[in-house]
Amino acid sequence: MSPAIVHRDSPIPAKAGIGLRFPHHQAVLEAPPDVTFMEVHTENYMGGGAPIHCLDAVRRDFPVSLHGVGLSLGSAEGLDLAHLERIRQVAERTEPALMSEHIAWSVSGGTYLADLLPLPMTEEALAIVCRHVDQVQSALKRKILVENPSTYMQFRHSTIPEWEFMAAVAARTGCGILCDINNIFVSAKNHDWDPSAYVAALPPAAIGELHLAGHSVRELADGGTLRIDDHGSRVIDEVWALYAEALRRFGPLPTLIEWDTNVPALDVLVGEARHADALIATVNKEVCRADAA
Amino acid sequence: MPTLHEVQTAMRHRLLDDADAAAAAIIANAFAPADRVSIYRNTSRTTLTNALRLTYPAVQRLVGEDFFAAAADTYISNEPPRAAWLDIYGSSFPEFLQGFRPAATLRYLADVARLERTVGRALHAVDAAPLAPSQLANIAEADHSRVCFVPHPSVSLMSSAYPVDAIWRAVLANDDETLAAIDLSAGAVWLLVERSASGVEVTRTAEERWRFAEALFAGRSLSAALELASNPDAPIWLAEHLAAGRFVGFALSNAEHE
Repeated sequence: MSPAIVHRDSPIPAKAGIGLRFPHHQAVLEAPPDVTFMEVHTENYMGGGAPIHCLDAVRRDFPVSLHGVGLSLGSAEGLDLAHLERIRQVAERTEPALMSEHIAWSVSGGTYLADLLPLPMTEEALAIVCRHVDQVQSALKRKILVENPSTYMQFRHSTIPEWEFMAAVAARTGCGILCDINNIFVSAKNHDWDPSAYVAALPPAAIGELHLAGHSVRELADGGTLRIDDHGSRVIDEVWALYAEALRRFGPLPTLIEWDTNVPALDVLVGEARHADALIATVNKEVCRADAA
Repeated sequence: MPTLHEVQTAMRHRLLDDADAAAAAIIANAFAPADRVSIYRNTSRTTLTNALRLTYPAVQRLVGEDFFAAAADTYISNEPPRAAWLDIYGSSFPEFLQGFRPAATLRYLADVARLERTVGRALHAVDAAPLAPSQLANIAEADHSRVCFVPHPSVSLMSSAYPVDAIWRAVLANDDETLAAIDLSAGAVWLLVERSASGVEVTRTAEERWRFAEALFAGRSLSAALELASNPDAPIWLAEHLAAGRFVGFALSNAEHE
């Protein structure tokens, strides 16, 4: 059963923002870039001192999205309540426009394994994730978004297609979906799914934000390839195309450019955000023309 | 069909001990299940090793990148994080290095690590408003000796038999000349570590001032700290701590010499 949730309409306009990482703190404070919002990893702002003061300053100029990477919504053993409390405290201070976490797990036996690990797509895992999303939304007194994963393996005993799993979490808990377009593309290529069919299977009304990032391609010994979601390069053309498909289906949405390894100059990130803004504008025009016709 | 708990336990063993229990649950094709899990294992190891590098940069430069990576790998398997807040991961790394035999010849290495741990704690400590001297004005004079201060979360003390502050500075500045000139037998150092607006400051202090501060920071009463110091300048040292914002609160002890 879902708890009573205080819904807040997203105050983030349906335009592009960037993921703020430490190498850009100084630059962003000195000259705020022309982007619509900024998203940070919640876990990097749990202490005091310079990082949280930077976030305080950014928050005065931009809507902020808190994106968690460590809550482990899929842990069979339950949530780490001390971690949930740390997240609540960052949220209380920052008053973010959006908060999100992942459909993944990273804690087992009380140990944090420092990666977003894949879940078997089973009724058991779905029930556990939904219970934890309910628990988080109650603790934070707000709706959260959950992000679809990028994965490199599938479990033999999975019974639910990932897109149905995502839709079910949203339907059962009232949470939103953070649709990561690059993750859909990476997982689809790795597991031979149809990325367009994945996008088409998600419930448009539940989507609260889109993510875009670059990934790398690893050649395998058998001549095949594996896509690795390393957030270390520009968004590739095929992912931009899938993003345009998503915009046509979901409508315009706040869209984030993520870049976590080999972080480039701030201008490069802002350039990627410009490209996303241009696609949002183009798709909007298409939709207006279609409505008029 | 394995339960979620069984799958997660098997994968944890694979990520920490390199055991292969998870493979049975994973679909096999051209790319073997064990290789697929290895991608996650590598990401996990890289993330945790980087977290240790961020806290212990001088240790890494002293031992070299390869040695550091090998030590970190063993440490991560032995003592993986217990929380998803990686800023505080690795607090037992200095003690691990102390007992790490390949590092035994670098006598001061564990103490450099302790200094870096202290600096890291100062860096990430929660914010707290310093105690304003005006807040002390209302204490009756008769109660002054019973005041027990609460130190700022980012302030701490450490001591070492080696000049670890000089080693730490020279290593981080890549100053080999200064490093080579450091006299390891110059005697113990007594250090105060605190966060300022521009970063973390490590200050060398005299042993008796350090011991006075240690008593105050441990929450002992002012009279107990003054008695321990037995130095006419101790009230001035206290005033310096107050002026520098090193306390965030106080309580009155029941016993005068607690």
